[in-house]
Order: sequence, then structure tokens, then C-alpha cells
Amino acid sequence: MKLACVVQRYGAEVTGGSERHCRVISEHLATHHDVTVLTSCAQDYVTWRNAYPSGETTVGPVKVVRFPVARQRHLGRLAEISDVVFTTRSSPEEQERWFVENGPEVPGLIEHLGRHGADYDRILFWTYRYYQTFFGLPLVADRAILVPTAEEDPLIWVDIVDRLFSLPVGYLFLTPEEADLVRGRATRPLPPSCVIGCGVDPPPAVGPGVDLAAIGVSPPFILYLGRIEPNKGCDTLFEYFDKYLESGGRPVQLVMAGFPNMPIPPHPAIRCLGVVDEPLRVALLANACLLVVPSPFESLSMVLLEAWNQRLPALVNGRCAVLHGQIVRANGGLSYRHAIDFAASLGYLLNHPEVARQLGRQGQVYVEQEYRWPRVMEKVESFLEQSLGRPLSVRPGA
Amino acid sequence: MADETIQVEPLMREIEDRLRDDVRRRLLAQGGAPEYQDPDVFRAVDRLLRRAADRPASHALLPEFLGPESGWRLQTHLRFSSHRTVAGPLVLFIKRRVLLPLTRWLYEYSADNFRRQERVNRMLVACIEELAIENARLRRDLGRLDERVNMTR
Repeated sequence: MKLACVVQRYGAEVTGGSERHCRVISEHLATHHDVTVLTSCAQDYVTWRNAYPSGETTVGPVKVVRFPVARQRHLGRLAEISDVVFTTRSSPEEQERWFVENGPEVPGLIEHLGRHGADYDRILFWTYRYYQTFFGLPLVADRAILVPTAEEDPLIWVDIVDRLFSLPVGYLFLTPEEADLVRGRATRPLPPSCVIGCGVDPPPAVGPGVDLAAIGVSPPFILYLGRIEPNKGCDTLFEYFDKYLESGGRPVQLVMAGFPNMPIPPHPAIRCLGVVDEPLRVALLANACLLVVPSPFESLSMVLLEAWNQRLPALVNGRCAVLHGQIVRANGGLSYRHAIDFAASLGYLLNHPEVARQLGRQGQVYVEQEYRWPRVMEKVESFLEQSLGRPLSVRPGA
Repeated sequence: MADETIQVEPLMREIEDRLRDDVRRRLLAQGGAPEYQDPDVFRAVDRLLRRAADRPASHALLPEFLGPESGWRLQTHLRFSSHRTVAGPLVLFIKRRVLLPLTRWLYEYSADNFRRQERVNRMLVACIEELAIENARLRRDLGRLDERVNMTR
């Protein structure tokens, strides 16, 4: 089967949930099919500055075609149009302009889809919120599968999104909550869909060489992993953590591991490590009391699966239906909604380590049952097969 | 403990109940409303306020009756315009390229505070709506009770 995967950025260096999801799914699909990734030359999601050379290349087992970004993202203009679109009743033209300003503006990719879209059996689009999907998917709607990675953020309620959601021939969702969100948002019944999640490899062994004390990490500590920015709920996390300590909770360190996109409060109990390498990441997960996920918007928390993979319980933002759903399905931690719930739940887990350990173990069992690669790819392959109405043709020689 | 599955939903409810009771006692000790002596009253108030705080702003009914949005919604974005037909583009250029950079700090400071105020407004609107829903429900139940009493007379 000839497949195209369309995504805003692509590369081993590219961090970001949907980009990573696209990469790992494409790589697994490429073991059986002819897969081409169509993407931009950008590496940085803030500016969309061209970083990779345009044209055809290979990343791992996948053929990648990159198209140059016509102009970098202007954050001032995006903020202005976002205020208009998200806080007032905006016109379709203003809403369409939001997608242009959000970028990455890749006219070459859109032209490619217009000219060569029919050459592919199926075209998978990652993330409904970016230019390449908004302007590209309508051109190849008869063969488009959307992986929306939708979250409960204001964009989902923008009128023009409804039109986009009515176009593809199929959907791949990451969680049941995401499927419900899109289904509840669309004004027409959705085409066939499948909840696939994402595969997780068995946990790596913890190496002996990581000295956490040398980098200022001292147990007991709770761990945050990922980009440190207000959109991920980090401002709220700092505030809630401070309130927890102020209320006389058991002393604990908050370790933040990820690229900081916001000022970190100068607090003796908060340690920011910046971006960490794989051995340190594994060591942190192996030694933390719990993982905290404060994000208000998620379509699937990969870092939560990673923590459970290492038997680490989690404390998540329950206002995010996806995180709350993951926690309840796995019985792998607790969720909070407000500052007082955060303090109470954190205090409970720290004061009941045997319960916390059991929740971590339950999380690992859930990952074993639902998120190992063979199971995930079986769902993807079977859905693609159904969407074509015939068995998939396997690439010669694969 | 090791082999028994812990169900997190009942556990979270247990933690929430314990927390609610702690907060109630603290409020009473600090001179809070005497009605909070009754844990059931406190639970009802707590639930109502939590529902209001968790309600997505886009789902509120009250704004539908506030009239045109331009008349009441806090504007945290700037829209430049000019009524002059000939000099308009030049005036807009000066506003955007000269005045805006000079006053951006003031704009960002105010916008931040406007956003906070808007958050409080949304919460209050949601509280009013929750109370209205509660009131409507009670009126409906009372009406049904009246009907039953009248039928048995």
C-alpha cells in the first residue's frame, strides 16, 4: 500500500507529541508499506524557521519529502488574530487567517498534494490545527485519514473546524476521550474511526552511572517531564506546589526536566534540569516518587505511559478529560482539579508509599495490556484495511 | 495490599471527602458561615462551586442575554483603525510601528490584568448559572410535589 503521512515537522531531533506520534507510527508502517512523509523544513515550532534542506531524504526506514516554509511565524500577529478568533464571534475569513498565521505555511506541500495526492492509497494527516492539514486535507479528502490529536482547547470550538472535521474518510484517535470530543464537536456523524493510542517499548534498564545528587536532585522528589511552559500547565503547577508546601505538606522536591519556555520561580524546592538525555530521564523516572502531569490540554499523554512503563504512579490534572480518563482506566494514580485537591492528593501519595507503589504497578499492567507495539499496529493496519474495503497490499520485498 | 487492585475513583472520592471536611472545620474555626456546621449543607455548597469553576466558559447561557459582545466583553486584543480615507494608512502605520512598540509594556500589563478579571467574571457568571439551575430544579420538584398533594386531597 502506498501511504503518505503529512505532518508539520519531522525528524529525530523534533520534539512534540504529535510529531513523535507521526514518526513512530510511520516507522512501524514502513516495515510493511511504501511510506512517504510530507512535511516542512522547520525544526522549531515557535518560528517555523527553515532548518532542514528542502527535497527528498531518508530518516530511518522512511522516505521524507520536505517543503520550505514560505514565511516564519509572527507571534504578535498570531496573538492578535487568536484574541479575535478565540474571544469573539469571528468571521470565517478571520478563522481561516488564524490557520495561515499559525503556519507552517508550506505552499509547496499543498501543491504536491493537489498534483500527486491521487498517487497515494491513503494520506494520513497529523494534527488538525496546522496549515498543512487545514489547507491540504480538503484537496485529498477522498483518501484522507485524520489523526486530529484534538484537545479541549478553544480552537476546537471555532466554527470553521466543523467543516474540516466533515471531510476525511476516517479518523485515528489517541484516546476514547479525544474521540468523544471530536464526535461531540462535529455537527454531522463522523466517518469510521479507531482509537489506536501509541506503542511503548518495554522499559529500558536503569544504568548505574547516573549520580542524581551531583545534579542537585535529592529524594524524595516528584517529577515533571516535558516542555516547561504555561500551555502545559506549568505556571499552575508552580503555584499549586508552593501552596502545598505552605500548607505544611511533607517536604518534597519538584524536579522539572524539559526545555524551559517560561521563567522558573526561584524556589529552594524546585530544581530545573533543562533538557535531559535518555539515561538521566530513565534514572529520574526510576527514582521519583511520582510523575506530575499538570497539562490542561492533551489528546494522549505519552509521558504518562512512559512513567507507568517504569511503575511510576502519577498525579494529573483532572480538568483534562483525557488525563483523568487515562488515570481511571489504568488505576495508575490520582487526579486533581484545584489547588486544594492537588495538595491533598500529593500529600496522600507521599504519606502512603505502599499505595503509590501499587498504583505504579497497576499502571505498568495497563501499558502491557494496551500499549505494546504489536497491539497498536494491529489496530492501525486493520483500520487502514477496512478503510480501503480490501486487504492491504504489502510492499514487495518487505 | 500487593495483589489487590486499588480502584482510584473511590480512592479519589475518599480523599475529596476528607479534604472537604478539613476545609469545613477550618472555615468554621475562622468564623465562616454558621450553616457550615451541617456537613451536608457544606457539601452541597462545595459541589455547586466546583461545578461552576469547572464549567467551560463557552458553555455559559448568561452571555446570550448580555447583548452584543462588543458591549460587555473585555477586549484583550488591539484593533487599529482610522476614519481618514487618505491619511488612514499612514496613521495606522504610525500607530502600529511607533506608538505600539512604545506603549507595549503598558498594554501587556493591562492585558494580563484584564485576563485575570475576565477569569473571575466567567467564574461568577458560572456561579449565577449554577444557582439558577439549582433554583429551577427546586421549583420543578416543588411543583411536582404540589401536584401530588392536590391529587391525594
